[in-house]
Amino acid sequence: MSLFHDPTAASTPYKDPTPLPDDIPKVNELGATSAPLKSASFFIGAHCKEFNEDFMLCKQESRDPAHCLKEGRRVTRCAADLINKLRENCFKEFEEHWNCLEYNNQEFYPCRKPERALNKCVFEKMGLTKTIPGTPEGKTPVHELTNPVFKRQQK
Amino acid sequence: MPPPGGFEAIKYKRNLPFRGPGGVAILAGVTGICAFGFYRLGQGNLEKRELKREKVWSRLHLVPLLLAEGDRDAYRREHAAVEREREIMKDVKGWEAGKSVYSDSRYRSSNSIVVL
Repeated sequence: MSLFHDPTAASTPYKDPTPLPDDIPKVNELGATSAPLKSASFFIGAHCKEFNEDFMLCKQESRDPAHCLKEGRRVTRCAADLINKLRENCFKEFEEHWNCLEYNNQEFYPCRKPERALNKCVFEKMGLTKTIPGTPEGKTPVHELTNPVFKRQQK
Repeated sequence: MPPPGGFEAIKYKRNLPFRGPGGVAILAGVTGICAFGFYRLGQGNLEKRELKREKVWSRLHLVPLLLAEGDRDAYRREHAAVEREREIMKDVKGWEAGKSVYSDSRYRSSNSIVVL
């Protein structure tokens, strides 16, 4: 059973072109790369909280991929909807922030300036805020510090 | 005979030029710098913890999304494999395609992997 197929030695590349069966409704995959996803992650968490939690509770019931297809489609549609809204409302800020992440090893801390512009725009136009759960009480959340210890070395 | 105007005064006072701050001042300075450094280190440790929390939560928010996409692909591949099996084994009587080797209904992921 556990046979390792070496892809370099295979005569044909391992591909399974069979599409999903017809009784499963089609959903467009998100197709975003890691930096835009990371940039939008907290807004996805805020906007799609219910769908995400529903999906994860469903996965807790059973790990079978067939079990949570419906909830999974909802999750994907919600995230796609959020990304589209982001691009409609805050295209420039979003683009700047994820490009900054791309150039800074996908770390948040060197990109606070574009991040603040994005957070402000998203809050004004879409009413979503970035909150990090578990921040110690009475402390400023790390993304709102005015003079952090860790910041970009190059100005 | 003494020169007119008398001899000049004899230099007997100690002539020790100032050679920098004293030991106590240096010790105090070093202690102060170290204290400041450790304070910033502590601050940095707390901040690093928060940065880590931020990173972890940004990933946690993406888990359902990525899992859903992966699940659809896994379901598609599994379904196709079962269909293939049904086609291959159609002449064998009593063969159930995709039947688990275990007698319970618990889901187990595929035993073989394909590394791409």
